[in-house]
Amino acid sequence: MERPQNSVVRTPIDSIVAQRRSKNKSYRQSYRSCLGAASRLGHTPGWTARRLNTSRRTKSHNITEKVNPEDLALLVKTEWQLSYVTPLYQFRHTQLRSYSRQLSAFITAEKQQGLAVEVEGAQTSFRVSFSVVQGLGETDDDAETVLVQIHSKPVFAGKDEAQKLVWSGWLTCINGNPEYLHSLPKDFTCLPLFGSRGAENLTSLVKSWFQQTFDCCFGPLEINQTCLQWLAALWTNCHIESSIQHLKMIWTLPVEPPLQITYTVNPQDAWELWNSVRTPSLESREEEETARSIDIEEVTRFMQGLMSHFYRHFRLDLSAGRLSQVSSALGSAKFSGRVKMSNSRYVLTTLSLLTECALLKMPI
Amino acid sequence: MDNTVKRLLERLVRRIPSRMLKTTLDKWSRLTATQRQSIDYTESKWALTEKLLAICEENELTVKHIAELEMIHVIENPNLGMWHAFQLMDPQDDAHSVELTQFKEQFKSHLSELIRHVSIKIKKHTDEAVWIRIAWGDTFSRPNHLKPTYVVHYLQTPYVFLSSLTSKQKPLLSQALVLSTRYQAIKDANLSGRKLTAIRDLLMKQYLQVFPTKFPSPLAERNRVVSNLHIEKEQAGSAANRHQMACEAFGDGLLPQLQSAVYKLETKFRDHTNKTMTERDEPFRCVVKFASTNLLESLRHSASSGVASTPVTPLLSSVPLKGKNYFVITDNGPGPSSQK
Repeated sequence: MERPQNSVVRTPIDSIVAQRRSKNKSYRQSYRSCLGAASRLGHTPGWTARRLNTSRRTKSHNITEKVNPEDLALLVKTEWQLSYVTPLYQFRHTQLRSYSRQLSAFITAEKQQGLAVEVEGAQTSFRVSFSVVQGLGETDDDAETVLVQIHSKPVFAGKDEAQKLVWSGWLTCINGNPEYLHSLPKDFTCLPLFGSRGAENLTSLVKSWFQQTFDCCFGPLEINQTCLQWLAALWTNCHIESSIQHLKMIWTLPVEPPLQITYTVNPQDAWELWNSVRTPSLESREEEETARSIDIEEVTRFMQGLMSHFYRHFRLDLSAGRLSQVSSALGSAKFSGRVKMSNSRYVLTTLSLLTECALLKMPI
Repeated sequence: MDNTVKRLLERLVRRIPSRMLKTTLDKWSRLTATQRQSIDYTESKWALTEKLLAICEENELTVKHIAELEMIHVIENPNLGMWHAFQLMDPQDDAHSVELTQFKEQFKSHLSELIRHVSIKIKKHTDEAVWIRIAWGDTFSRPNHLKPTYVVHYLQTPYVFLSSLTSKQKPLLSQALVLSTRYQAIKDANLSGRKLTAIRDLLMKQYLQVFPTKFPSPLAERNRVVSNLHIEKEQAGSAANRHQMACEAFGDGLLPQLQSAVYKLETKFRDHTNKTMTERDEPFRCVVKFASTNLLESLRHSASSGVASTPVTPLLSSVPLKGKNYFVITDNGPGPSSQK
């Protein structure tokens, strides 16, 4: 492990600082070292020192004011497979059209196994479009979200048949840690969260192209237990504004053969339990219920309440197993990294949480 | 050739795996020896279907005969589809002396009285089970053979197992069953699963419910790599204890393969750390579903490995004890929750 030569902040022993390969010489702080105080309070070495934010504000956003509703419609109500992406080198939001052509040529070339293909104007059967989803970022530091769509004609289509959307993906950064974002050298754009939907071979082609062009790295994003519990609490918190209809949690227990437990709670009862574990508000009464910040302790108490009710009946300790899925009418999230947002009002809250997860999982 | 016959035969040939087609057709015995020999079982299913259609046309077989073939297949493969268990209640005096011919006649006549167009086929299987296949029609249409209901009844027991029954057909079938078996009512046994053999064994307690009295030490039983002798020694006592209680609750040896158990909980939330919720009058409503490829195995293993605290809670041990896998739990009385 290397130490930065001129670090002003004392980094904890277990932070990893990596040097960018050949692109620039200066050292960069790792994301984990930016967590500073929180991790110094940590008593354990190893990755538990790197935690998600212990408290977050939730606010439902009338997001349709900021974001084009058509773009939003593309994001919600679909299940996405998530990955994390390391920062992109020399990615320009102004060169999207050129990227579209390059990616299209790349895909066609790969599909044709290495035959030479012109970049301009050729009869490529894949049409790629890069676009920006304006207004999705929360802070000024957040880079604009990029949406990638691939259209293609079905294999035995007629001449005039339109191309259909066969693959879509997006890269985003919502509420990224400002210290980390500022510590990045100038040429790097941080869009750590990548979501994709469509054929697996197209996904890997898109990833290879990004890796080649922007010298970045993709990796699978597993939504860990804490994150899933946060989502359960955040969604329950929204019940007053938009009914969650049910709170469903799926646990897997490590017995032989594996046992799957689906625990579905009535939404009103879940909300009352959530309300009962909230610490009394110190803020003014005028502030909206849902704009208060939520602490990890409240989330933990909520989950413990649910688990103890279960234990009282079945004498089975759910924490012996693993929470593998949480879902409600507002969306669903699985441990394997698949997520679905069903209500556009809570897209930002969910994406902020996931951006944090992605930043934490990144190796550098 | 009738369209229904065609469709039924096509579907059947698709369903029956190629390796079992020969034996099933032989059992059916509606084809002559030459016809049977002329079938090449290595051909594609599509080609086989065409061949069989030609043969059936030759023999002038009707939809009833194809239904026979389907029944043979289903009886040989009872572990497909979803089965629900029912129990007959309040036997009349002569319920125990109902024998096969009487039951057959009575059932056919009662059901035909209740519904005009219905096609019934009854067959007794070797293990005392009576299999009934019912194709339902109504006043205006002929029986639909593509959506038959299967009923399995063990004579001399109050148990009936049903598959593919709609809510409209249920009261008619219940009535016919009750009258022909000489009971007074029929109720849902709250047990369902994919494997008929499993739910039958569970309900009629036909599996090996060995409650061991003498235990070899757990170390000797399991072929595990011993990680730390001291830990093993220390834990041996409590591990043996857990194992014994797990087996007492669920039985030793091979367990019937149940896939799921559902509990609808409507009990109050009681937690001394959470005053607000404990003071609530309304119940905390939730539904818990346990699912596994072999549920009883999983539960037994969770008890013996300590994931579930022993002694095993009556909610879980009721599954094998009462032979049910659907429960509604409410607070009744001052004590802990009871079951319906």
